[in-house]
Amino acid sequence: MIFLACGKTSLLDVITCRDHGGKIKSGQIKINGKPSTHQLVKKCIAHVRQDDRLLPNLTVKETLLFVAKLRLPKTFSDSQREKRVENVIAELRLRQCANTRVGNEYIRGVSGGERRRVSIGVQLLWNPGILILDEPTSGLDSFTAHNLVITLSRLARGNRLVLLSVHQPRSDIFQLFDLVLLMTSGTTIYSGTARDMVQYFTEIGYPCPKYSNPADFYVDLTSIDKQSKEKEMESQKRARSLATLFWEKVKDSDDFLWKANEGACVTTVHSEQSSLFTPEEVINMHAHSTDQLPGGLKQFTVLLSRQISSNFRDLSTLLIHGSEALLMSLLIGFLYYGHEKSKLSIQDTIALLFMIGALIPFTVLLDVISKCHSERAMLYHDLEDGMYSVTPYFFAKILGELPEHCAFVIIYGVPIYWLANLSPEPEHFLLNFLAVWLVVFCARAMALWFAALFPTLQMSAFFGNTLFTTFFMSGGFVVSLENLWLVPLWISKLSFVRWSYESLMQIQFTELTYQMTVGNVTFQIPGKLVIQAMNLDSYPLYASYLILIGIGTGFMLLYYLSLRFIKQKSNQDW
Amino acid sequence: MMQPTEMERSGGGSRAEERISVVIPHNSVSVHGISYTVRERVGLWWDIPSYHKKYTRQILKDVSFHIESGQIMAILGNSGSGKTTLLDAISGRLRQKGNFFGDVYMNGQELKKEQFQDCFSYVQQNDTLLGYLTIQESLTYTALLALQKHSNDFIKKKVDAVMAELSLSHVATNVIGSRIFRGISGGERRRVSIAAQLLQDPKVMLLDEPTTGLDCMTANQIVLLLSELARKDRIVIITIHQPRSELFRLFDKIAIMSFGELVFCGDPPEMITFFSDCNYACPDQSNPFDFYVDLTSVDTQSKERELETYRRVHRITSAYKNSEIFRKTLEAIERTKRTKDLPAIPFKSKDSPSAVSKLWILLRRTTRNFSRDKTGIIMRLSQNLFFGLFLALFLLRLKNDLLKGALQDRVGLIYQCVSAPPYIGMLNAVALFPPLRAVSDHESKDGLYQKWQIVLAYILHFLPFSIISVAMFSTFIYWTVGMNPDVSRFGCFFAVVLVPHIIGELLTLVLLGVVQNPNVVNSGVMLLNVAGVLVGSGLVRRTEDMPTPFKVLSYLTFQKYSSEVLAVNEFYGLNFTCGGSNVSPGASCVFPQGIQFIETTFPDAMSRFTTDFLMLYAFLPALVILAIVSFKIRDIIIVR
Repeated sequence: MIFLACGKTSLLDVITCRDHGGKIKSGQIKINGKPSTHQLVKKCIAHVRQDDRLLPNLTVKETLLFVAKLRLPKTFSDSQREKRVENVIAELRLRQCANTRVGNEYIRGVSGGERRRVSIGVQLLWNPGILILDEPTSGLDSFTAHNLVITLSRLARGNRLVLLSVHQPRSDIFQLFDLVLLMTSGTTIYSGTARDMVQYFTEIGYPCPKYSNPADFYVDLTSIDKQSKEKEMESQKRARSLATLFWEKVKDSDDFLWKANEGACVTTVHSEQSSLFTPEEVINMHAHSTDQLPGGLKQFTVLLSRQISSNFRDLSTLLIHGSEALLMSLLIGFLYYGHEKSKLSIQDTIALLFMIGALIPFTVLLDVISKCHSERAMLYHDLEDGMYSVTPYFFAKILGELPEHCAFVIIYGVPIYWLANLSPEPEHFLLNFLAVWLVVFCARAMALWFAALFPTLQMSAFFGNTLFTTFFMSGGFVVSLENLWLVPLWISKLSFVRWSYESLMQIQFTELTYQMTVGNVTFQIPGKLVIQAMNLDSYPLYASYLILIGIGTGFMLLYYLSLRFIKQKSNQDW
Repeated sequence: MMQPTEMERSGGGSRAEERISVVIPHNSVSVHGISYTVRERVGLWWDIPSYHKKYTRQILKDVSFHIESGQIMAILGNSGSGKTTLLDAISGRLRQKGNFFGDVYMNGQELKKEQFQDCFSYVQQNDTLLGYLTIQESLTYTALLALQKHSNDFIKKKVDAVMAELSLSHVATNVIGSRIFRGISGGERRRVSIAAQLLQDPKVMLLDEPTTGLDCMTANQIVLLLSELARKDRIVIITIHQPRSELFRLFDKIAIMSFGELVFCGDPPEMITFFSDCNYACPDQSNPFDFYVDLTSVDTQSKERELETYRRVHRITSAYKNSEIFRKTLEAIERTKRTKDLPAIPFKSKDSPSAVSKLWILLRRTTRNFSRDKTGIIMRLSQNLFFGLFLALFLLRLKNDLLKGALQDRVGLIYQCVSAPPYIGMLNAVALFPPLRAVSDHESKDGLYQKWQIVLAYILHFLPFSIISVAMFSTFIYWTVGMNPDVSRFGCFFAVVLVPHIIGELLTLVLLGVVQNPNVVNSGVMLLNVAGVLVGSGLVRRTEDMPTPFKVLSYLTFQKYSSEVLAVNEFYGLNFTCGGSNVSPGASCVFPQGIQFIETTFPDAMSRFTTDFLMLYAFLPALVILAIVSFKIRDIIIVR
């Protein structure tokens, strides 16, 4: 177990191959003698970071259970997994809030310290070969902090490497460390066993006063005091001289660890320390826990159930999306109310059919984009950790959205159909419903793609809106198709709004006859004529459906590619 | 380096005591018998049977203590023991929900509800700061807001003094940073938060975990600094996690909380004797803080341990309640209540400027903050134009031949000009305003300004951006697609398109006031916009054909007015051709003249032109007022 102070987070980032913009100037990082790569890091390093990234609507226990299902090897049975989760909950003293929602800034949930422990629990669960924790004890009360470090040190005894960065270790915590790396402003002041640290500093002339915590004392000694210019200069000089001194002492050794000369202590260097520094020794990296992770299918089912339960729990979002659909539906339905005295005129029916396909996808588009952005932090964090791969997530995401999607389309499509008194044949209704289902699905897939493609919510939403507007304009209603010039004409072929419009029109008009009164004369106008006059019969009905399916699939494919190849960061400020 | 401070620390306690006996009369805060309970649901909403059950959770239970100026008090305890709630209770920030009993006295007088924020300064655990400002700017603006009546020189000196006191001078010109981009370090952020409070010279400072997340040196410096602040005749109360043992003697009072109860509260020597008397003497080499906190916490790892530790805590608590220390505390509270000649309640120095100058300062601060966000500015300015580009791509040039879609194109264009700008405005507000809102939630609690003032400042801030952005959009689209080539009509077009864009932002602000989650606001504004276009614009369905309720509703939508004005503006005096020659006025040639289209689609729109225009502009002040009201409501609904 290693403890660090000052300059820590960057070092941990470098070890886990998460350099944010910076470049490693020199030196190399080796894990078990192999140069560290992303794959290797993913396989054996668990990194608990300072910020918590969890799904807010799951309870603590569910969160851990899903991780257990994803990250524990196949050989574990369900009851074993549950037992492991129980153990972690007990270890981190989370029992009293096990059934509370995790929460976030907007959703009330567990307290900050508890959320932090859940994050640690997520990583503890899967028993990694190397566990890296960035300030795990900050924000915890001393009691829990102590327990946590004891847990960690027990883990380390089980042939594991635990790397922590700590700000202010209590003396009893400090005693649990094996190796200590003391840093200030990015340079090493001391690196060696914890018990030799006092001896080392005593040798170079800085004895630790009695009854004082050596960790605190030496961190104070080496930190740069910025209260005044002179103090800063002085402390900087001291730190630099200490760093050079240490370098002088260890530059000849092969592992750059300071060892006491008395001999007795040298033997206490543990094997897990060596793994970081000396390439010769290889420790068993828990082959079972890395190679036999649940397969893609298992990941998919777990992710799917996580997705669905997370969606279902999010009451406010569900209510908002539901009422959105209902409101739109009632609004359009009553606007084109077709039951009383006269049925809707041809003009109005045409407008209605276009609006059905054009308005709701627009609201869905923005909803889905903003939802994806709020989940994004967690998604890319999980992917980076290698908790699951893109493919299962992709399928789980698409399928997990379907129940909500279907409910949404039913709430939206059925009332309109009835209120506007469209063609009463059941098969017409079903075809109409299918077309609406498909067009909303296309919008959903497009939204998913845009959310994965652009870095910020604002950009995704804006470009989503722009593309949708082009689809809207090229739908054939606002501007008739024959008046479009070449480029928009091509775009119109991709416009799901257009295809929904065509198919809805064909369903409604092909078999119906309309009456139209001009002056005193009443004409019987067969619906087919209307369609012909508007040039909407160029493709048969089934072709529209196939094209809609094709467009939806195309967007999904693009979504998959974007997920796969574009690494987004979460950067929404709220 | 350690030696002098060590001596200073050991000397600190006794010196403070001396001073207390000399400096009379001094200020005091007494807390008497505070209890706080909330009703909570047992389960979550999807677990229906347990969701309907409610239970009463006791968060604070009969807490009393007394503290006098020059003293620093530390409240210790495990997470969930009610430390933060206690601070909230003292500062009068939680009275709105839950059941609260007990009294808080300042110099023996009970505080009125509105006096709390003028008396206590409260540094919350999470620092909410505007990310793009430098430390100096941030503090200067706060100082201006709090003490504007003083001269600029005074404020500059004050800010410099506070920065020097908190050793921030060397980073004064560094940008603070936010979650997205890195700025100053965590310790520096914390010190900026404390500095912001110090600017007002408060006599009572409450700090919620000022050291959490800081390295030990910084944490120590901050506690040392706070104790120095306390020595200057202030009262400082902090909650703290894992303080170091050297700090033990630094505090004048140490309180330990467990499950909402005060297990112990007294000065360090009392603490050691008390616990020794309870047969829990602190071993010489261990940190007394840690030892006592461990002693009073309940271990939930196993059932037996839980019972055992719980009994122990109970024993200590009752021992404390029966002790001399507790009796003295109660006596002190009674005494101050009875004493008549105590000084008046010491309020923070607050020469806050008039509402107008506050607004001006907030506007400057907002503008300065966003002016460093280069990509944000580019996005805000270019979005409308970019959208216009897409539109132009579609329409190329408007034609005059009805058979080539002269009418349809124009209607489509007007439809887009009415429906898209609000949406873009909404995107801007949702991206920019929530951080400002978070800051205002904090600062309005401190009484620096009202929440609606920051809304107003934000509105003033975005107006020029909106105007420029819409100007670029309308200039581009108007002349590119070739709308009615009359400069005054272009002016009218610009003036009309500007309004929906601003309305979009304003509407978002209105909702952001009462709805916490920006995603929900997103959906809400969009829904309102789409509904408005449907009902109001008359382009989707003629208003005449709609059922009566919708006709009435349409008068409430800004889309009605903007589309009417735009239609008249474009179509009036326009003559269309129909095919090559005027042979057969067929079905698509029903409107050979623009005016005919206006009369069928928007009857009487010609005569209402001016009224429509005025109505449209009337939406702006109305929504501004609504936004102000909404943020007034926010004062009530956002408790913390």
